[in-house]
Amino acid sequence: MRRSPSLPLLVPLLLPLLLIVPAAAHADDFPTSGRVEYVLECMQKHDGKYEYLYKCSCVVDRIARSLRYDDYVAMSVALRNQGLAGERGGEFRDEVSVRNMASKYKEIEAGANKACAVPQR
Amino acid sequence: MSFQSRLTCLAGCMTACLALVAGAAFAADSDTAKLTKDPKNWAMQAGDLNNHRYSELKQITSKNAKNLTVAWTFSTGVLRGHEGGPLVIGDTMYLHSPFPNKVFAIALEDQSIRWKYEPKQDPTVIPVMCCDTVNRGLAYANGKIFLQQADTTLVALDAKTGNELWKVKVGDPKLGETTTNTPHIFKDKILTGISGGEFGVRGRITAHDINTGKVLWKAYSTGPDNELIVDPNKTMTWTDGKMAPIGANSSLKTWQGDQWKLGGGTTWGWYSYDPELNTVYYGTGNPSTWNPRQRPGDNKWSMTIFARDLDTGMAKWVYQMTPHDEWDYDGVNEMILADIKVKGKPRKALVHFDRNGFAYTMDRVSGELLVAEKYDPVVNWATHIDMKSGRPQVVAKYSTDKNGPDVNTKGVCPSALGTKDQQPASYSRKTGLFYVPTNHVCMDYEPFQIEYTAGQPYVGSTLSMYAAPNSHGGMGNFIAWDAGTGKMVWSKPERFSVWSGALSTAGDVVFYGTLEGYLKAVDLNGKELWKFKTPSGIIGNVTTWEYKGKQYVGVLSGIGGWAGIGLAAGLTKGNEGLGAVGGYKDLAKYTELGGVLTVFALPDR
Repeated sequence: MRRSPSLPLLVPLLLPLLLIVPAAAHADDFPTSGRVEYVLECMQKHDGKYEYLYKCSCVVDRIARSLRYDDYVAMSVALRNQGLAGERGGEFRDEVSVRNMASKYKEIEAGANKACAVPQR
Repeated sequence: MSFQSRLTCLAGCMTACLALVAGAAFAADSDTAKLTKDPKNWAMQAGDLNNHRYSELKQITSKNAKNLTVAWTFSTGVLRGHEGGPLVIGDTMYLHSPFPNKVFAIALEDQSIRWKYEPKQDPTVIPVMCCDTVNRGLAYANGKIFLQQADTTLVALDAKTGNELWKVKVGDPKLGETTTNTPHIFKDKILTGISGGEFGVRGRITAHDINTGKVLWKAYSTGPDNELIVDPNKTMTWTDGKMAPIGANSSLKTWQGDQWKLGGGTTWGWYSYDPELNTVYYGTGNPSTWNPRQRPGDNKWSMTIFARDLDTGMAKWVYQMTPHDEWDYDGVNEMILADIKVKGKPRKALVHFDRNGFAYTMDRVSGELLVAEKYDPVVNWATHIDMKSGRPQVVAKYSTDKNGPDVNTKGVCPSALGTKDQQPASYSRKTGLFYVPTNHVCMDYEPFQIEYTAGQPYVGSTLSMYAAPNSHGGMGNFIAWDAGTGKMVWSKPERFSVWSGALSTAGDVVFYGTLEGYLKAVDLNGKELWKFKTPSGIIGNVTTWEYKGKQYVGVLSGIGGWAGIGLAAGLTKGNEGLGAVGGYKDLAKYTELGGVLTVFALPDR
């Protein structure tokens, strides 16, 4: 089958999207909603204690300084879905680049947790 | 039959016939098809009988889509994968959830819950669902809401009150039979299918009376002619470049012994219906087991497109896409009915993007094969479809049957997920093109010998999946396809597979969701206009409706793998927890977030 003419054009344009370059660009481009979402979930994970409003904000601000938002989304999704049930979970567990995204994100988050006095959960 | 007995029968039948005629007068058409003609509603899961997933609404356009903003959200309170989407009829939305299959009737005015229904289901059904406890949504007809529960119960509810009107069971979870499909309302009937291809069930569809649930006909995918509901002389299939009768015992001949009894051929996809031809179209799934050596033959009619008369169930034509499946390329994906020019000639076409990586364009009246082309260039298990025999030309090194059990066949594209799974494509009546969410994933596949035990997985294969090599590195694409020529128009790479159903609109916008949780709007050239991060990955289908002069777009998010779940489940190795093989760790303790419907609209000026 022949590829359509537009296809080879689109691929190089979008290639950088698919490459994850952590810590390279200090974009600090997380939208407020992305930070709030993180903090809410992080607080919930720590029994909703108010002190975690500050601690979890500290964590997400640190993550935002080391990752572009789009990369953070992809990497955190890669980690979340390591345990996705069923055949389709294989897409996340088997693919090496996705597993690498997951472990890289885990490492970045663990570092931020440590710096912000958030116990790993 | 003797002349004498014919006479007696004739006399005896007279009264019965009269009763039938009277009955027919009551069995009027449902209002569903009519409701779908008003674009303010979204009255069927696919928007209409044709599986178009297209809306005439055009308040949201390619010019203003960038301004879309959240109007409201609704949480189902249920974890796990959220497939399908809401129905909207008038001022009410009807929304479902995965197991335990809750149903909500929501007032569009203030999003208050009019009623809620939650069936009591035996949770032992969960471990026999191969691919998460999904449900693909509700159906509506004549003031009734229909839910196909996971435990195979089909239930009718009063759309005003949520009260149960009738219930009927279409399968037995103890045998591995479950249900995930939406029920389909065609004319005066409700049609439903069965899941469990990984458990050796025997696929079939059943047609029921809308008012009572009574089974009107039941047609199997495998077995003797009478149970298939075929006429050996009149049911046609593509043979040597033309349509020819399928002949006697067309299924039995293609199985060893009585293997057809565990033959698979399940029916959990998206059916369509042509009222002029009074014909219903649907596809059948993989033959059981996944180990092809254990089931020699073509394994008919698994992996098949069926065209049946709606009233009698009689098959008009059949077409088997993947004879003797060796890769789990289920044929259940949506059957889209479109009147398009095929190779320059106007046709009543049926377009089907199969898991096997080929997009088929058939003449839906006659069943002729018109076009069969790869819709992802990496597809490699077959070189092409031979247009004379209609059969794929399988590449020997990717044949898991030739390589045999306990041999790892490597580098097969697509993976068992298919180039596309059930996530339905959209057909734009405006552009005449198809917008298709796809997987860009290949696999290593190793079949092994397996014994059948009722209610136990009957898979017989381990596999490992990865992004298509030597490509853009991502695992998905969103493409535009010309089904009249079998050519790709454009392809937009995605980091992960695209598992959400698409929507195209008269406003020249095409919507789809991603596994990162983005709802995206693109223009007719695939250029991204807008994206919004919803709370979780999107495997639901995008829906649009209008209420009080405003167009809304909604989508369910919720993929089933929330934060921490991976760690909680202790899954670290590559192919742990794969499907029915080892899936379903107990994730029940993790309950803080549910699936969410996020609804968007343009801001008021």
